[in-house]
Amino acid sequence: MSSPTSTRSPQGEPSSESTGRSGPLAHLILNGTLAAVFATLFVRAGDLPSSMWEPLGSGSFPRLVLAALVAINLALILKEARTFAALAPAEKGLVGRWCWRHRLAFGVLALFSLYIFAVPMLGFALASLGFLLAGQWLLGARSGKALLIGLVVALVFSFGVDTLFRDVFVISLPRGLLG
Amino acid sequence: MMDALLAGLDQLFTLSTMITMLLGVVAGIIASAIPGFTITMAIVLTLPLTFTMDPLQGVATMLAVYVGGYTGGLISAALLGIPGTPSSVATTFDAFPMARNGQPGRALALGIWASFFGALVSAVVLIIAAPPLALIAVKLGAWEYFSLIIFAMTVVASLVGKSMLKGLMTGLLGLFIATVGADPMMGVPRFTFDADLLANGFPFLVVLIGIFAVSQLLSEVEDADAIQHGKALIPDDVSFRPLDALRETLSYPVNLIRSSLVGVFIGAVPGAGGSIANLLAYDQAKRASKNPETFGTGNPEGVIASESGNSATSGGGLIPMIALGIPGSAVDAVLMASLMVHGIGVGPRLILDHGDLVYGMFMAMLLAAFMVLVVCLFSMKLFLRVTDVPRSVIVPVVLTCCVVGAFALNNRVTDIYLLLGIGVFGYVLSKLDYPLAPLVLGVILGPIAETNLRRALMTDENWTLFFTRPISLALLVLAAISVGLAIRHHRRQKRATMA
Repeated sequence: MSSPTSTRSPQGEPSSESTGRSGPLAHLILNGTLAAVFATLFVRAGDLPSSMWEPLGSGSFPRLVLAALVAINLALILKEARTFAALAPAEKGLVGRWCWRHRLAFGVLALFSLYIFAVPMLGFALASLGFLLAGQWLLGARSGKALLIGLVVALVFSFGVDTLFRDVFVISLPRGLLG
Repeated sequence: MMDALLAGLDQLFTLSTMITMLLGVVAGIIASAIPGFTITMAIVLTLPLTFTMDPLQGVATMLAVYVGGYTGGLISAALLGIPGTPSSVATTFDAFPMARNGQPGRALALGIWASFFGALVSAVVLIIAAPPLALIAVKLGAWEYFSLIIFAMTVVASLVGKSMLKGLMTGLLGLFIATVGADPMMGVPRFTFDADLLANGFPFLVVLIGIFAVSQLLSEVEDADAIQHGKALIPDDVSFRPLDALRETLSYPVNLIRSSLVGVFIGAVPGAGGSIANLLAYDQAKRASKNPETFGTGNPEGVIASESGNSATSGGGLIPMIALGIPGSAVDAVLMASLMVHGIGVGPRLILDHGDLVYGMFMAMLLAAFMVLVVCLFSMKLFLRVTDVPRSVIVPVVLTCCVVGAFALNNRVTDIYLLLGIGVFGYVLSKLDYPLAPLVLGVILGPIAETNLRRALMTDENWTLFFTRPISLALLVLAAISVGLAIRHHRRQKRATMA
C-alpha cells in the first residue's frame, strides 16, 4: 500500500503534516513482504538446472542477488522497527486526508489501468482516444475551448500516432475493433 | 591519412547528405525528448530509411540521429524530470530542480552547450586517439567487466537518495528483475511461473518507462489542490539566454573536460554506454565540487557534468567499433549493422580498406555536433513552449506515448501490462523514498554482470582472479572507496542534522 509516509514530496517540498508511525509502518509492510518473496524465490532458484560446462548454473547468480536482497530488506526492517518504536501514532484521519489529496493520482491510475486493458480489445486508436479525452477532462479541461483543444490533441495522439506508426514506421499498433 | 580525410569530406559535404543529416538531428532530438523513445529506438527506426542511401550518407544520417538524441534526452529530463533516454538519468538530478526553481531556459541552455562540448571533445579524441584507447578497452576481460559493473552499481547506489541501503536495495532489485525470463547462457526459463506475461522477462525499456515515466506522471497529478488552482508544471519564466549559458559552461573548464573524457572512456568500454557515463561524470563532478551539498538542488555543475558525459560517449563508442568491430553500445551495434547491410565488414581492416568512409564518419560526428547546437539554439524556444502546455494535456499524452514506446519495442501486448505493474510499483517505491535510478541501471547491467561472472568462472574457476588481475582489482577498490565515501558522507550529514 502506498501510504502517507513521505515527509517529503517527490519534488523535495516538505510536507507540513505529521505522519507519525505511518511512514515506518509502510516500510515495515513493504520490506517484510519483499523479504518473504525474495526468500521464497531464493529457495525456488535452487531447483534451476546446473550445467556441466560451467561452475555456475542458471540459479547461481539469481540466488546471489536474492540472498543480498533478503539481507538488505532485513536490515531495513530492523532500522524501521527502531524508528517505529520511537514515534507516536499518526493523527486520526490522516490516511483519509491523504487519500483525498491524492484523488487525482488515483483517478489517473484507474483510468490508465482501464486504458491498458482496453488497448488489446478496442485497439490502440480507439482506446487512446477515449483515454485522452477522459484523462484531460479528469485533470481539469472542462471549458469549451479546453475541450476542443482536448479533442484535437486526442485525435492527433490516437488516430494520428496509429497512422504514423502503421504507414511510416511500418509498426502496427494493436488494431482491436478496427482490425 | 590526408587523402582518406579529403575523400571522406568530399563525400560528406554533399547537399543530399547534409539534408538527411539535418533531418536526422531534428528527428533524434524530438525522439529522445519523448519519454520512452530511446536513441536506440530512433536509430532502429532510421535504419530502414538508409538502405537506399550510399554507405557514408546512411551512417552519417544515423550518427546525426545519435548525436541529436543525446541532446534530446536533456529536454524531457530538464522539463519533466523524466529521462528521455537511459543516458539522461543523472541529468534529471540537477536540470529538473533548476527548471522547477524557475530557470528551465538556463537548464536547457547549459545542457545544450555541455552536450556540444562533450560531443566535440569526443570527436576530437576519436580522431586523435582511437587506436590506443581501443587497445585499453579491449584489455578488459570478463573479470574486469564484472568488477566494472560492481563499481557502477555501488556508485549509483551511493549517489542517489538519502539512504545507501535503499539505493543498494533498488539496484539489486534491478539485477534480480533482469534475471526473469530466459537465462542468457543456457536459455532456461527463470521465475516465469509458466505465465506468458513473464515468458520474455522484463525488457529494460519497459522498466525504464514504467519506473520513470508512469510513476513520475502519477506524482505530477497527486496534489489535487495545486492542479485545481491551475499551477503550471514549470514556472512561467522561460527566458533562454544561450550566450550567458555559454559563459557559465566555460567557467567550469575542468568539470567540462573531465566529464567529457569520462564519457569518451566509458563509451569506449563495450557495454558501458551513456547511462553509466552520465552517472559517473556526475559523481566525479560532485566529489570534486567545493559545494557537493548543492548537487541535486539545481547546481549548474551537475547539469554540465551529466550532459557532457553522456554526449561524449557517442564518439567513444565508435572507437572499439571502428578499430575492433566491437560495438560499444546497442546504438553502435545498429550502426555496425547499417554498414554490414551495405556489404562493409567492420573490424581492424575497416580503416585500411575504407579509410574515406571512416574519416567521413569522424567528420560526420563533428558536423552533427555543430548541427545539433545550431538546431537547438534556434529552436529551443519552441521546445520551451512545452512549459505552456497544461498538465491536463501533458499527462495523458505522455502516458499514451509510454504505451506506444513499450509496445513498439517488441510488438507485444504483454509489455504494456508489465508497464502498468512496474509503473505502480515504481510509484510506491518513490512514495517511500526509494531511489529509482539504481533499479533501472540494475536491469540494464544485470545480464552483462551475470554473463561476465559466469564467463569468467568458465574460463578459470579461481575466484581470486577478480582480486589479482590489476584492472579488476582497481575497479573493486574504487567500488569499496565509493561505498566508504558514501557512508562517511551520510554519517557527517546525520551528525550535522543532529547538531
